[in-house]
Formats: sequence, C-alpha cells, structure tokens
Amino acid sequence: MKLAIKLAVVAAVAAFGVAYAAGDPIKVRKALMQATGAAAGLAGGMMRGKMEYNADAGKSAIATLRAAAHAHGSFYPEGSLTGDTTASPRIAEDAEGWNKTMAKFIADADAAAAASGRDGPADLDAFKAAVGPVLANCKACHEAYRVKN
Amino acid sequence: MRKLFAILVVLAVVGAGALWLLSAPVRLSAEAVAALPEGDATRGETVFWASGCTSCHAAPGAKGDDKLLLAGGLELPTPFGTFRAPNISPHESAGIGGWSLADFANSMKRGVSPGGEHHYPAFPYTSYTRMTGGDVADLFAYLKTLPASDNRVADHDLTFPYNLRRGLGLWKHLYLKDEPILALDTSGQSGVDEQHLRGRYLVEVLGHCGECHTPRNVFGGMDTARWLAGGEGPETNSLGKPELIPNITPHETGIGDWSADDIAYSLESGFTPSYDSFGSSMVSVQENMARLSAEDREAIGLYLKAVRPIASDR
Repeated sequence: MKLAIKLAVVAAVAAFGVAYAAGDPIKVRKALMQATGAAAGLAGGMMRGKMEYNADAGKSAIATLRAAAHAHGSFYPEGSLTGDTTASPRIAEDAEGWNKTMAKFIADADAAAAASGRDGPADLDAFKAAVGPVLANCKACHEAYRVKN
Repeated sequence: MRKLFAILVVLAVVGAGALWLLSAPVRLSAEAVAALPEGDATRGETVFWASGCTSCHAAPGAKGDDKLLLAGGLELPTPFGTFRAPNISPHESAGIGGWSLADFANSMKRGVSPGGEHHYPAFPYTSYTRMTGGDVADLFAYLKTLPASDNRVADHDLTFPYNLRRGLGLWKHLYLKDEPILALDTSGQSGVDEQHLRGRYLVEVLGHCGECHTPRNVFGGMDTARWLAGGEGPETNSLGKPELIPNITPHETGIGDWSADDIAYSLESGFTPSYDSFGSSMVSVQENMARLSAEDREAIGLYLKAVRPIASDR
C-alpha cells in the first residue's frame, strides 16, 4: 500500500512538472526537484531496507530520475537565477562547469535506464548498482550550484 | 603634574608588557610532547577522514584520489578578510615535510606554528585541542604517506586589526578550552556508554562540527550557549551574504524529527530523511564521514540526539 502511494506521488509530481513546462521556469524547476526527491525517496527506502525491493518501483524511480535529468538543464534561462530560488549565480558565471555537471547527470541516468531494461533491475543489488551513480548527482550539483539564504 | 605623567607612562608600559606576555604563544609542555606515542598510519587514516583535513587542504572540488593531495590554496572569504588554506602535504619546504611530531602536535593542539607564531582559528584547533596524543601521532604518520605538492600558497589577506597575529594569544585565553561542551555522566548510572563518548569526541573534537554549526560572537569565538544551533556561518557565499548554516540540535526548528539512524544514514548517503540532498560545503564533509565505520556514524547520531535542543534564531 505504502509503495503504491509512493509510486502515485512520483507519477503525480512528474506530471505536475510537465503541466507547468510552458510557464514560470522557477516553478518548473521546483516541480522537477520534487519529482527527483520523491524518486530518490523511493529508491532510498528500498536501498535502506525500509520497504521491500520491487522491480517495477525500481524502474519507476530510474525513469523519473532520467526524465528529470533530461529536462532540468532547460529551465535555468537568463533572469531566472534571482527571486524565489536557491539556484546560485554560479550557474551563469561557470556555464562550462554547469553544463558538464548536467551532462553527467544525463549520462548516468541514461546508463541506469539502459541497465534497468524493460522489466526493471532484477534485484536490489542490480538496482543499487544502476541507481547509485545517478543519485550521487544530487549532491554534486547542490555542492556547487545551490545556495541557501 | 610631572609625577602624574610619569605614573601614566609606567602604567602604559606595564599594561603593554602584560598584554605582550598574555598574548605569547603557549606550546605543549615537555612532558606532553614526551608522552606522544609512535604513530600508526593505518589508524591515522580514520583520524584523517573524521577530522576532515581534505575538505579545506585539498584543491577546491577535489574528488577521488585528488582528495589526498593536500596542496592547499582554498580561499575562505570571511568578514575578517580572506583566509587561504596552507599546503600540508609532506613536501619538505612547501608543505609540512620538515615538521617533527612535536611541531605537528603544537599546531593541532595549541594553534602554534613551528616558527612560534599563532595560527588563525580558521584552522579549527579550538576543536582539535582535545585530540588524544595517540590520534595526533597516528594522523601525522598517515599524512606522511600522502603525495607531496610543491604548491606555494600566498599568506592570508586580512584587515586590521585581525592581521596582527600576536593578538590571537589573548583570544586563545577566551576560546581555547580543554573541557567538553556536552557534559556526560560517566558514572554508569545514566545509560551513557562508550558510544556516546565516541560520538562526543567525533562531533566536538575530530569532526569539529561546531566550527560551522555553532554561531560566532563578535570576537569570532563560538557561542557555546547556542551549541550547534546554526545561523549565519563564518564564510561568505556566492550571493555575497553570510552562508546560512542549519541548526542540527534536536529542536523542531533543527533536526528534531531525524532519528539517530537518520543522521547516520544522511552522513553515509548525503540524503536527508526527506530525500533532499546535502549541498555546499557539507557535501565534502559528508563524503569524509562516509569513510568512517557504521558504528562511528551511529555514535555521531546518538550524540546529536543528546545535545540541548535550541530554537533557531531565524
């Protein structure tokens, strides 16, 4: 039951992100972040043994992370780094580093999706091996390009 | 009138002399140095990760094996000016390759350089001062196994009066203390065990968590009445404002809803219980903590659940 709720939340926030795509980039980013966080929560819950591993859930988490990875880079246009955001001005100042960081997130997520296949990673160990490198991108980006004040 | 002037001159000279004496660098006693054991590099590796040396002394953003090249050069912009982390690789002249164990212990525990000058407390010796002699020796043995770098780091760039190193001698009288912050009842009656003590040592001494997570007063000393309650940190962020540091006390405005196990997991994985990820300088700290044993991370969790809950001031 808990798993079903989590899956529904992941799907809902992902859809929420798409619905806003045309409008306010900060709002879209936040929706994407929530989808990413919910997928990470699903992945982490299984990896931590808080819920039993399930291949469909594993596949869903990886697919959500991958969708977010591909979408993210498009929502930091000029003028969107100020206001109600924790995005750091470094995103514009260090465009090269930022693009590299985004490209790595996408590459890791693509590799995970390929490993995940049609049926999702077969067991927890396969899931950990696939999703681990993707999740490391969260803090890699937040280390350099997020600022909280 | 002449007599009064003479008295004032004498008082001024005595006062200046007293300040000069009070601000003198105080090294470890000969007995303390003699008691330092032979270091063990293997044990020293644990001390190294727990103490977070690489987070400041490696090149900014270093990953993987680059974290072991302690070439220095990281700039820390603060209201006092810009501090630069020195080269502490075992290079004979650019690093600490020429230091003795006694030099290293005086640096770590007393904040005094081999040349007899005060270190600035951007180097967290106010925490390391309570490091055991064994850990100091083990860490020194481990540092000697790391690669040498010939990188020469420019001196700190501080504003007056903070550029007067000697004044730190007075500061040390106020803020270089031997007592633990959190008093733990070790009589055996209170359920305090070895793991609590280990947690206190990891957080208060090696991990030096308070150096960022405890707000500082106008003199730049830790305000221990607000131990680990967060607030404006000592560094300036990319917006040009003081970095905002989270409250990690068990208050509801801190991390009161995290279990000890959640804390341990966050230090292992970099994820908070709500699956936000750590960011900023905490990422590097977390990656150090991920190298510790699971027991050590649990000990940190236990300690952080035991400190006084304090409400955030913002």
